[in-house]
Amino acid sequence: MIKEKWLDLVIQNPMLIEITRFRRRYTSASATSSMNGVVVLLCIICYATLLLVVIQNRTSISPIVMIFAQTAFLTVLAPMLLYGSISGERERRSWDLLLVAPITKPQIVVGKFMGAMAALGVAVILFQVPIEIAATSYDRSHWQSVLVADLVSVTFLMCVCALTILFSARVKRSLMALGATLGSLVTILIVFPALVGLGQSGPATDAAFFLHPFVVLSRIGDRDDAISRNGAGTVGPGTSQPDFPSNVPAPWWGWPQTLTYLGLTIVLLAWASNTLNFAENEVKFLPQGHKDA
Amino acid sequence: MLEVKNLRKEYAGLTAVQGISFNLHPGDIFGFIGSNGAGKTTTIRMIATLLEPTAGTAILNGADIRRDTMEVRRMIGYMPDFFGLYDDVKVWEYLDFFAAIYRVPTKQRGEVIDSVLELTNLTIKKDAFVQSLSRGMQQRLCLARCLVHDPTLLLLDEPASGLDPRARAELKELIAELGRMGKIVIVSSHILPELADFCNTVGIIERGELLAFGPVSKIVTEMQPHRVLAVQVLGAAADFVGPIADMPNVLSAVAVGEGDLRVEFSGDLEAQADFLAKLVGKGMRVATFREDSADLEDVFLKLTTGALN
Repeated sequence: MIKEKWLDLVIQNPMLIEITRFRRRYTSASATSSMNGVVVLLCIICYATLLLVVIQNRTSISPIVMIFAQTAFLTVLAPMLLYGSISGERERRSWDLLLVAPITKPQIVVGKFMGAMAALGVAVILFQVPIEIAATSYDRSHWQSVLVADLVSVTFLMCVCALTILFSARVKRSLMALGATLGSLVTILIVFPALVGLGQSGPATDAAFFLHPFVVLSRIGDRDDAISRNGAGTVGPGTSQPDFPSNVPAPWWGWPQTLTYLGLTIVLLAWASNTLNFAENEVKFLPQGHKDA
Repeated sequence: MLEVKNLRKEYAGLTAVQGISFNLHPGDIFGFIGSNGAGKTTTIRMIATLLEPTAGTAILNGADIRRDTMEVRRMIGYMPDFFGLYDDVKVWEYLDFFAAIYRVPTKQRGEVIDSVLELTNLTIKKDAFVQSLSRGMQQRLCLARCLVHDPTLLLLDEPASGLDPRARAELKELIAELGRMGKIVIVSSHILPELADFCNTVGIIERGELLAFGPVSKIVTEMQPHRVLAVQVLGAAADFVGPIADMPNVLSAVAVGEGDLRVEFSGDLEAQADFLAKLVGKGMRVATFREDSADLEDVFLKLTTGALN
């Protein structure tokens, strides 16, 4: 059963053509992707600059800071990649061709998701170079923390991808999907923390931000610092957690969020899949003025 | 075989299709004729499983569009009135994608893609990007996509719209070839000469109602059971109306111009020849004499009022 699902959704999913399409979109020299080419070129310049800065200051830059930067950059990039994943198909009217084909809704959603993950995967791999340089040179870094922080980052990005697909599946226009996704992320990551921060301050707010990726990464960095200053056993379960600026125990930062993000990704993808309608409900998504609208 | 049974579609306050029924057999090329907004696309989209019928159903080789949706989808090739192509893939990748969706075995896909490209005359464009194709080629690629899984039923919605005359001629020939291959083809259009050439069955729809269905010749005969003869005589046509009306097999005679007469005639070809001889025998100077046969366009104009839903 699980093997069949795995084959159906992943190995033999025809929507994996999305990986090729993502590759083409950002590497082809064709006219329509020339703007994408400019974006890629700018990214390469930024990446080279980042690499030089990290190499020059490798002893003073924490790998967690680099993972922080990776998360921030890719959190913005992921919606850009996926906002038209389903609403764009509707606008292009290629959606009808998928609807009349014997393909399942989960196959469409998972295929779109995997295409974006492949594109983000390349970005994540590129980010690993400065992260590893910082990790090998920064004296207060610990490999286990770097690995956990990276997992937090990647799983959070998966969650962002799933959220973007969900919005793309639920709205009529691609730009609405982009706006809704970025608006939600700004609310969750900036507005909500700012509002909570106005009412409370200090470590007590950590419980409220248990799933906030940047807070999680900060706490993993703080834990590294604490371990470096006081020794490995000082921030574990049952310890007094000296120098650890949080009311949530140190071991709770990392794995729990990773698993939560994974679960949330599955829920959001399933929700997106259930949103897709294979019959007349599609009519409501047709642009106004279309003869079937 | 496709059996359409009392298919009906209602939107809020609007009946788009009012319970239409017809049957089609392998090899039938069915021309679905109607003005814009008559209900052609809605009917096709219901048969394609894109829209759920409000009532009625269609059964394709035993599979019901309402109950056996996936099975029906495997048997149909749907070509909408827009391309809906992915610009950023190559022609063969696009076809491979749909072949994969239709579960064409991996080992056979290359062969299938080559054969549909050959059928649609796109072999030399196999490695071209979809966006680089002309409109006619993109239309043919859409048709090639419909064929990768060897469907039983092809639903072609306005397939020739926007094509130049050569591309139209090629498309007509291709559709005729598909009919000869034993596929059921439903072609919708509001351009009548386009359909009359190669459809062996037509249906005329207006305001969601199927006004006529059957072979072109049968519909034309039903609409105009008597011959209409156009006679041009030298002299005042009005003077001849009386004598002609009294002749055998003449149902009516009307002067339609200075020297033109329109005669409704119930006889066969032999009686028609006798009629001409009698006209000449009575001293009428007949300049031209021909049967004014009705075509699909006449039937369409006679049946429909041009009213929209």
